[in-house]
Amino acid sequence: MSNWEILWSARDQFWVGFLRTMEIFGLSISVAFVIGCALLYLLEGSRPRLTVPLRVFIDGMRMLPFLILAYLLYYGLPSFGIRLDAWWAGVGALAVYHGCYIGEIFRGSRITFPPGQVEAAKAHGFTKGKMFFRLILPQIVMQTRPLLGNQLIYALKDTAFLVIITVRELTAAANSLSGTYFIPTEAFIVVIGFYWAVSVVMEVIIKQCGRFSAKRGFDNA
Amino acid sequence: MNASAWQMLLEGAWTTVWISGISIALGVVAGLIIALIRIAKIPVVDQILVLYTSLARATPLVTLTLFIFLSAPTFGINLDRNVAGILALTLNTTAFNAEIWRSAFRNFSRDQREAAMAAGMTPWITFRRIMLPQMVITSLPGLINEMSFLIKGSPAIAVIGIVDLTRVTNRISAVTYEPLPPILVACVLYMAVIGCLVWLQRIAERQANRLAV
Amino acid sequence: MPDANPSTAGHRENDRSGATAVAIRNLSKSFDDVEVLRDVNLEVKKGDVVTILGSSGSGKSTLLRCINWLEQPERGSIHIAGERIGMTDEGRAMSVKALARVRAKTGMVFQGFNLWPHLNVLHNVTEAPIHVLGKSKHEAETHARALLEKVGMSHKMDAYPNTLSGGQKQRVAIARALAMQPEVMLFDEPTSALDPELVGEVLAVIKDLSAEGYTMVIVTHEMAFSRAVSDQVVFLEKGLIIEKADPETFFTNPSTERVRKFLERND
Repeated sequence: MSNWEILWSARDQFWVGFLRTMEIFGLSISVAFVIGCALLYLLEGSRPRLTVPLRVFIDGMRMLPFLILAYLLYYGLPSFGIRLDAWWAGVGALAVYHGCYIGEIFRGSRITFPPGQVEAAKAHGFTKGKMFFRLILPQIVMQTRPLLGNQLIYALKDTAFLVIITVRELTAAANSLSGTYFIPTEAFIVVIGFYWAVSVVMEVIIKQCGRFSAKRGFDNA
Repeated sequence: MNASAWQMLLEGAWTTVWISGISIALGVVAGLIIALIRIAKIPVVDQILVLYTSLARATPLVTLTLFIFLSAPTFGINLDRNVAGILALTLNTTAFNAEIWRSAFRNFSRDQREAAMAAGMTPWITFRRIMLPQMVITSLPGLINEMSFLIKGSPAIAVIGIVDLTRVTNRISAVTYEPLPPILVACVLYMAVIGCLVWLQRIAERQANRLAV
Repeated sequence: MPDANPSTAGHRENDRSGATAVAIRNLSKSFDDVEVLRDVNLEVKKGDVVTILGSSGSGKSTLLRCINWLEQPERGSIHIAGERIGMTDEGRAMSVKALARVRAKTGMVFQGFNLWPHLNVLHNVTEAPIHVLGKSKHEAETHARALLEKVGMSHKMDAYPNTLSGGQKQRVAIARALAMQPEVMLFDEPTSALDPELVGEVLAVIKDLSAEGYTMVIVTHEMAFSRAVSDQVVFLEKGLIIEKADPETFFTNPSTERVRKFLERND
């Protein structure tokens, strides 16, 4: 059997690893997006006492490697009696970490948001919440989509760190296959191909969103 | 944490810093070389470099590190762990640096280039004396930002058994059975290093803005 | 190699020997399908000041930029002090090195100054003499100081371009071009990007240069200035030279209706 035939016969393991990675990625990035939106809302200024601690928290996260946060949740939390399994620790760390990055991306764009629009909305009697969800958030999300796209790719790449805290995802699959059959080159080429394909698909989707948003006039806002 | 735990942490921090430092130095220079090759638009070579950039952007560092370290022996190359780690980090950061250099080149003022040509400078002198010094200044904020990313990605080398600042916390807690303190200290050390880079980046941004008048 | 003595650099006082500084023959150039220069012929004698007038889009900047080959014409030839620029005598494109060498015989002052922002005033002026002409640092700096004195910028030697006013930048740019001891100085609308109150200081410097006998080709919109400094005025319309005369004739008794209208409008 050639090396490639061996890999083909072990395709189920790749597939399971791939699904695991996509599961982790999909769940954590969704939560991260919600965290990012929440951070943006909390930084709107309705709770001034929260602003400074939140900014410190976001900047602190952005100065840490992702893996050390995963360590903190996986190895550190049990000291407080909270025991997460590797999968949940990984998803939690990804969500919080990238949530902070997304929050910062939103914040950067919020600074340049035209104040006239907010005033117009206030003048029309919009409540704070309505104004945020109907006016501010949609525009900021559309405006920041290239940065969000980059963040998606970073998040996807960070899922691979979880192999170090023993999560059975895609890179772990390649690692164990290459150990079992001693065909590391082929196994990792396949896995890198997977990551690459997902990244390319995400980039295409982001570009398509760009067309949609240009049509809706979001870009000249 | 006792004295030996502290010493181990500092050794881990040193490992992170020197491996990252070498990779950064190599990556900045290699990035410039690749940017220049891409600007020259040599057929085939250009397509290969586009593919490299795209792959490097999409490949997780952990995966790349494992790939290099595990598959080198099948080609009869025996790679030292540290060399494999540096190679992985460098391959990754070079791709990003090349894009930073390339955009500095592409956005370079046409007017200034004309002034250089009108003064009788050859393209090489124009590049060396007029463009490169300014490209360094305009690229520096981006390059420093990429350095922070490299350090944040550097724990990936732990996967092949290098005891860096992240991995060393495991070693310490294996003895002390108290994982939290070393992890927290490691966090502080990472913040110190990356905080320095963020500060440098701000200075570099101010310099770059001063140029853009 | 031009004369290295700073006091006489590019300085051809009362040199009316009739030698030709720039010779343009049958020059044609188009952008896409639009002809911007049509069969232009022009001769600039050593020590002469030629101003090129014309409405915007008439091709006058393009003509100037052809002289040092920043634009490449399709047909015709340009000689700088007897040496052809851009093409070899066999009609092939010049090597970049040869082109750079001929370009060094011209000095150009741009509308947008185009100073190099990473170098201070002094080094903006010495950069090309050191790295193109191969002068020593000391020699280049001595010369640069004299030139900065001449344009009234010696007090700003260590300043960086972004701290200067437009008029100051343009005076430094003039010193930078003079430092190459060129056979001819080319000015591409040197005052068009300036605030009105800064125009005067730059025109005064150029007037001084003309009095010292520098050979200059100047594209400008400043009529009074053109009349005061020119030995020859050229009027360009749709890429054609439709009037070429001494300033007295040009401004008081032009031969074409088009120029008469132009002068009335710009009075």
